[in-house]
Amino acid sequence: MRKSTQSLMALLAGAALALTGCAGGGSQPAAVLNPNAEPQYTGTLSILTKFGGDPLEPYFEDLAAEYKKLHPEVSFDLIQETDQSIKDKTKTLTASQAMPDIYFTWAGSWANNFIDGGLAADLTPVIAPGTEWGNNFGESALKAFAKDGKYFAVPLYNNGKFMGYNQRIFKQLNLTPPTTFDELISTCSVLKEAGYEPISFGNKDGWPGLHYLQQLFAYEVPADALQADFSPGTAKLEDTGYLKAMGQFTTLVNECTGSGKDSNGVLYTTAQQALAEGKSGMYYQEILEFDSTASADSKLKQDGLGIFKLPAAADAKGDPQAIEGSPEGYIINARSKNAALAADFMKFATNSQNAAKLSAPPYGQPSAVKGAVSTANSSGPVIEGIKQVNEASAAITWLDSVTVPAVADAWLAGGEALVAGTQTPDQVLASVRAASSAAK
Amino acid sequence: MTVSNTAWKSAAPPPAPLSTKSPKSRTRKPVRAHGWRNVVWVLPAVLLLGLFAYLPLVQNLGFSFLKWDIYSGRQTFVGADNYVRMFNDPIFWKSLLNNTLYAVISIAFQVFGAMILAAMIEGLRSQRWRGILRAVYFVPSAISLTVAGLLFYFIYEPEMGILNAALDFLGLGNFTQAWLGQENTAIFAIIAMSQWQGFGYCTLLFSVALQRIPSELYEAASIDGVGPFQRFFSISLPLVREMTGLMMIVTVSGAFQVFNEVMVMTSGGPNNSSQVLGTWLYRSGFVRNDFGYAAAVATAVFIITLVLAVIQLRISKKRRVQW
Repeated sequence: MRKSTQSLMALLAGAALALTGCAGGGSQPAAVLNPNAEPQYTGTLSILTKFGGDPLEPYFEDLAAEYKKLHPEVSFDLIQETDQSIKDKTKTLTASQAMPDIYFTWAGSWANNFIDGGLAADLTPVIAPGTEWGNNFGESALKAFAKDGKYFAVPLYNNGKFMGYNQRIFKQLNLTPPTTFDELISTCSVLKEAGYEPISFGNKDGWPGLHYLQQLFAYEVPADALQADFSPGTAKLEDTGYLKAMGQFTTLVNECTGSGKDSNGVLYTTAQQALAEGKSGMYYQEILEFDSTASADSKLKQDGLGIFKLPAAADAKGDPQAIEGSPEGYIINARSKNAALAADFMKFATNSQNAAKLSAPPYGQPSAVKGAVSTANSSGPVIEGIKQVNEASAAITWLDSVTVPAVADAWLAGGEALVAGTQTPDQVLASVRAASSAAK
Repeated sequence: MTVSNTAWKSAAPPPAPLSTKSPKSRTRKPVRAHGWRNVVWVLPAVLLLGLFAYLPLVQNLGFSFLKWDIYSGRQTFVGADNYVRMFNDPIFWKSLLNNTLYAVISIAFQVFGAMILAAMIEGLRSQRWRGILRAVYFVPSAISLTVAGLLFYFIYEPEMGILNAALDFLGLGNFTQAWLGQENTAIFAIIAMSQWQGFGYCTLLFSVALQRIPSELYEAASIDGVGPFQRFFSISLPLVREMTGLMMIVTVSGAFQVFNEVMVMTSGGPNNSSQVLGTWLYRSGFVRNDFGYAAAVATAVFIITLVLAVIQLRISKKRRVQW
């Protein structure tokens, strides 16, 4: 390298380090926040929601309009994203230090990033169990966003994953919801023989496969080991239950899905549509999707949507009563100048009237507010799903949000490899172990 | 037969050399006399370019030496760790291989394939057909990459896509598969879409280059009884060298910067099989929260494209044709 080039490179590197502030902390200490303070009903509230697209989008728009009627000097800046796009949007806003006053969060590692980064307001004084507002929520929903005894988010709705099935097809073929994993595979063969796709499955985005895996891990891996393995600091990932669960997943993909090894090329929504149109017998879905899959004009609505838990193997070594799912909620930005107003708006969003509205079709998001899900406003499957979530021995958070991103990413790639049949469970577990070790 | 200077001269007076200054320019005052004015004129552009093009480059280089937690904003200097990790990362090398595949296939189709097609179109006698064909081949280029990616996603869809349906219809049902869902076909399916999209644009540019070649050369060659193949290799090919060089730079740089179509069609999956450098740096930053590492990958992309562009510019400069 010529001397002039070397000098130029050295200058560039030096300038770059100077410009980025190489060893410093770029963060500002969180402003002192008192969400319990009397709000000033003026100014603009910015809100990042996961309610982008049909049919959810009008919910926050209507809430904002109603709130504005009560407080005309308050205006809103709504940023509505979809389940897929909100991850990127949130990270972009975080990196550019432009987080809105209120923003969506999943439970687990996702929420902890904001809590640890000082971006989540401590809501303990107003929402902890025993407080006036906190008493409106189920305690487990509040605890999903708790850390070190403090509470950091407002749980908006509960969620859980279930196998949805077409009641007419099951009745026609004299089938009953399977109670063990082997029965599930037998049910698949009956449906296949009758010309139906047993379970519609689209894994184009990778995470649908992770949801199967996480539920099967909860069944096959002892709860303590599973919990320890989510955190790279304590993870060993040595339990043989992982291999057994991955084997079950591969069997399910090969024996029960119409697309089989091709499922990585099929959209999740294509699979959802197959159940809605009565082409498939079953489809693994979240409570949040029940009312959109069995929408008013769908064939499934006429046929009837039934649900059952993904069945565990008879000799499962983990917790067969656990269910995958967790509430989703909203954080108030610790640096917000409108924190008190933001808290007031979230109280408004979770009052009994708005909670009932959220739980009813077309939204079908079962509110975390006690008593909001009832026969008066919610569909049968939503009521049944929430009942089972409440009765479950444990709620297991989604695999792609409970652990750190690098490990979640390794599981994602591994799940796709299992579907395509290009890696064995041993190989997948080895790559996840490597990612977990690197993330320590 | 070779194209002789005699044939050239006898046909028509040659066009003015490209490098020749016009008589008017000779009367202008030397540039140095207006030095300060020149600086004033170019200063806004230089400032904007520096602010929006070069400053981010320098900043990115700085980020690549950091471990950066976007949630707390904490930045820790880690020296060359991110680069060491990058060189030991199999997905980085897989991405680089996919980009290289992209470049090689793009050169074959979008440079040489488009050149041949342009020569065939320009060789047609009917002016109307030439116009129609140019338009037909150009239309895909007018579609945005994102839209084209989505369109091809549905073409490749294993259950409802028209590609598998067409194969079934033709009795080639054994070849049907999930083109984007299989590790061994995903990247090729994306590259195929890219060729479809970029082919017409390159063809049009080559058509323009071919039109600039004086028709007298072809007429003289025809009089000497030269066939179409030899006309192509002896006249067209040498005289579009400059455009060929330019197209090589554009396609190779494009192949190392590819992002949209991969993101829309596979997001780099399944199992990272269709990952390219652009999507891997995006995934490292925005999915894995590893922004320092993502910056290191971005620096690698910058260096690769810069080196390729410099090499190609030098080669094309040596081959510049003047007449």
